[in-house]
Amino acid sequence: MALSLYIDRASPLHRRHPVAKLAAMILFFAATFLLDDPVPIAPLTVAVLVATAAAHAFPNLWRLRWIVGPVFVFTLAIWTLFYPAPAGGAAAGTAPWRFGLGMALKLETFLATGLLFLATTTVEEFAFALRSLGVPYRAGFVVTLAFRLVPVFLESALTVVDAQRCRGLDFTRGRVHQRIARYVPVIVPVFIGGLRRADRMAFALEVRGFSSGRRRTGLPRPAANAGDWLLVAVVGAAFVGYVTLWMLGTGRIVPR
Amino acid sequence: MSVALRRLEVRALECRFADPPAQALTGVSLTVDAGELVAIMGESGAGKSTLLRCVNGLVPSLVPAACEGEILLDGAGVLGVPVGMLAGRVAMVFQDFEAQLFSTNVRLEVAFGPAQLGVAPYEIERRVAAALARVGLTDLVARDPRALSGGQKQRLAIASILAMAPAVILFDEAATDLDPVGRQELYATLQRLRTEGLALVAVEHEIDPVLGADRLYLMRAGAIVASGPPAVLACDVDAFLACGVRPHDLAVLARRLDVELPLAVEDAVEALRRLGVSRLLPATKDAASRRPAAADGPPILEVEHLSYRYADGPGAVHDVSVAIGAGEVIALIGRNGSGKTTLAKHLNGLLRATSGTVRLDGADVATVPLDRVAQQVGYVFQNPDDQLFAATVADEIAFGPRNFGLAGDVLTTRVEEVLAAVGLAERRDADPFLLSKGERQRLAVATVLAMAPRVLILDEPTTGLDYPQQRQMLELLVRLRARGTTIVLATHSPWVVAEYAERVLLMHAGRLVFDGPLATFVADATLLQAAAFEPPPAMRLGLAFGRVTRTVDELVAALDLPTRLR
Amino acid sequence: MDTIVPYERRPGRGMRELVDMWSNTRMVVLTAMCASLYAAVLIPFMVVPLIPGLTHFRPANALPIVCSFLFGPAAAWGAAFGNLIGDFFTGLGPGDLFGFVANFLYALVPYRLWRACTTADPLPRTLGAWFLLLGIITTASMLCAATVGFGLQLLGFVPFAVLANVVLVNNLVTSALLAPLLLAVLYPRVRRARLLYGDILGAAPRAPRWRRFAGVALVVTGTGLAFVLGNLASGGWLDPSTLAALSRNLRFVVLVLPALALGILGLALL
Repeated sequence: MALSLYIDRASPLHRRHPVAKLAAMILFFAATFLLDDPVPIAPLTVAVLVATAAAHAFPNLWRLRWIVGPVFVFTLAIWTLFYPAPAGGAAAGTAPWRFGLGMALKLETFLATGLLFLATTTVEEFAFALRSLGVPYRAGFVVTLAFRLVPVFLESALTVVDAQRCRGLDFTRGRVHQRIARYVPVIVPVFIGGLRRADRMAFALEVRGFSSGRRRTGLPRPAANAGDWLLVAVVGAAFVGYVTLWMLGTGRIVPR
Repeated sequence: MSVALRRLEVRALECRFADPPAQALTGVSLTVDAGELVAIMGESGAGKSTLLRCVNGLVPSLVPAACEGEILLDGAGVLGVPVGMLAGRVAMVFQDFEAQLFSTNVRLEVAFGPAQLGVAPYEIERRVAAALARVGLTDLVARDPRALSGGQKQRLAIASILAMAPAVILFDEAATDLDPVGRQELYATLQRLRTEGLALVAVEHEIDPVLGADRLYLMRAGAIVASGPPAVLACDVDAFLACGVRPHDLAVLARRLDVELPLAVEDAVEALRRLGVSRLLPATKDAASRRPAAADGPPILEVEHLSYRYADGPGAVHDVSVAIGAGEVIALIGRNGSGKTTLAKHLNGLLRATSGTVRLDGADVATVPLDRVAQQVGYVFQNPDDQLFAATVADEIAFGPRNFGLAGDVLTTRVEEVLAAVGLAERRDADPFLLSKGERQRLAVATVLAMAPRVLILDEPTTGLDYPQQRQMLELLVRLRARGTTIVLATHSPWVVAEYAERVLLMHAGRLVFDGPLATFVADATLLQAAAFEPPPAMRLGLAFGRVTRTVDELVAALDLPTRLR
Repeated sequence: MDTIVPYERRPGRGMRELVDMWSNTRMVVLTAMCASLYAAVLIPFMVVPLIPGLTHFRPANALPIVCSFLFGPAAAWGAAFGNLIGDFFTGLGPGDLFGFVANFLYALVPYRLWRACTTADPLPRTLGAWFLLLGIITTASMLCAATVGFGLQLLGFVPFAVLANVVLVNNLVTSALLAPLLLAVLYPRVRRARLLYGDILGAAPRAPRWRRFAGVALVVTGTGLAFVLGNLASGGWLDPSTLAALSRNLRFVVLVLPALALGILGLALL
């Protein structure tokens, strides 16, 4: 089952240090977040799409087209309607839909940035970056382990559904509450199976020294190089630029 | 690379679980030297796993227990030392692959253990490469462990602990879930580690792979009841049976004939020839009556040019055609990933063919709702825990028929019949999750039987069961067959195929490469090799004399012995 | 012979329990299990968006409630990480930070409130017990909805009045219908397997009566207030002139955050 959004390619973005990627993503999120006029947001959208192309990550956007498409339409519609008119201001002509467009672009940019990060970063790299930022080892470990177990549980759930369908379980009949109750014969075996496995997994972890009490190490990692600094510098510069715009009060339809 | 260890010694070990209170081990003593492979066998609940867990500290670190006695690593006592402290010295490989792999690629998996122990980064890198080389996985260093075969996963588990430089490795039924090729890979690796000087302890269900071990211990009810060189101890058929272990065919034969026989088939053939055996008697009427009944009536299931492709991953089938008749017992064999399960899931409509047709009583199953097909063609999944959820055994059995509209007295009667058929009448009010593995396996069959199917498909129904439980399961199938139920059995167990199947379907790389009587299959050495199927010793011995003998009984009946031996 | 008790048992109280559990390997594994189970049931339903890109129909939302009663602190962390992992399969965003906190609270409320109110098993047989269970489910759903609504309104993604109500209804419907059913089947079995959090960590000492009372009162009022104020403020129905000097977002924060903090403070007392 191809579930993971990681796309195993050798692009320059893939090669960046995980901490640099995480920092760049957070800075980029922040830059996108500050303004609400579609005009200054659009360059960021274009930038993330160019980066997506460079990282061969477009398949992710395509895979999630059922989110990417509706997000745009829905956000445009809802924020045009919920347009927060500035207090005392007159009815603003094109402002509501420009505001809606800005929000839609903003959300799409967030989505594309997140997908680009996941396409170029393995879950272990993500956990490593979290640890570098001070998240405890065991919390990072839970992220990687849970990530690895998702397909295991999904497969187990599909098997259970098959087994119960063979016994006449049918999700398509009956009222809503009856249908919801039919999750019980699926969830119980998956859950109990997971529980049995969790116990064995705790054993296996202990055998691998999880509680050895010694200071943990890991495989050698290359230190951040010029490319990593460049990435952070470029996104950082964009961030500073957008903060400047924000402080000048431009690029906003609704004043802060 | 390993820290040198000369001897692991267990002396008079007692272990009592606190919660719920139960005596797990009584006066257990054993010794393993460096470079030795020691095997432990015994029925479920005999204390094998508990013994291993005491040795590496899981008991009492993670399981509350009271332990007494001594466990010595080169004379230093380790009983009660927390498992974390022993990690890296005493390692363990478990049966469940998924439960011991934590990473999303092979390299990180192997690095995990040494990283926990605080090994220096560049030393970890060196150890990862060395460990993968030792188990022959160097080429797969960048793979996702989930994409590996069962045998590869277990070798990865071994590499992951080798990188921690242990002196002792304990194998807790590590081969149970593997197909024959996977088992060969695993035991070849064990052999290699043994020559490298590690001390190895393996809990096994089958005697064959551990015949070459240095010592064999038989356990029962928490105690070691017999020990010795495997080849010698294996001749004690009674001890094996008393401990719930399937004895070696040739040991049983030797006892039946009251002669001494070597356990290697080629040597046994020689020995029998020396005793004057030159041929086997032709099959008796009794044996002949077990021929397939298929040809008589019209087939129940007809598969024509079936092809199926998954969106991704292995297990597809290509152009398979087969017809299944009433009352047949068919073994469906082949490696994991060869398409066995995919084919089987088409027979009851769980999967819909990409091309080709599956017909049930002449009607295309693609046009019949799944529940109607599933009523006729029952499917028992490999892991009984994938379907048990109800509060009582009786409720569990009633679930299927109730979904199909049965109610009231009819339903009660049906449940009682099925309870009796699978031998669980006494346990009707028990919680399914509290049953033994063997009982749960039979309950899973019962839940399907309750729908009164004409065809019963079983996926690995004997895996993970001990010998008495396996026998009970197979006897159930014999009774069902006698009632006219068609049985399709996907299995890796050669003796199950040999004793119970009439017809064999061999899948290989998605294609049906053989469909015919068992006798034809086992007589074809090329096929056997392609299937990695090694017939049980009684059958190989018969074949050496030119006849197919399914069991020791058949072999004894067919031996044309000189009168002095009769 | 002395029974050796597993060396990892360290019962805790208050918020310490949420930190201490990380030293117990079983709890760590259970956290990962809750997280991946939650994510695994979330993912297939992501094709049914309620608010595209932000939330979808989530029948999985009964799981944090069920897991909370079984695994306590491991369920809280598990729900938080599970939601994050779920987003790993549909895209990360700044809103995930609030999703993390909201789901953490969602699974933290049930076991804390229940153990403050009663020592019985969460298998209601009396009307009172049913009332308590449903009340707790409502509180948990509301706190979760208020937190995520607060965060996403703050980020300007979607108004509190839209998101929080959708999340509340979704949580309530699935949990109220499914959680009691699942608890009835799972709780006795997990208890028998001795894998309840109390069995793994050791029974936590019960907080004194005044503390329990104050805690429950704070959680319930804080949650209710946050939810009502959030709705009113986001819809523009509540806009006190005393706050006119503040920016829009800041006005919203000043109105809603204290109520949320009150609820969380109550949880810390339990």
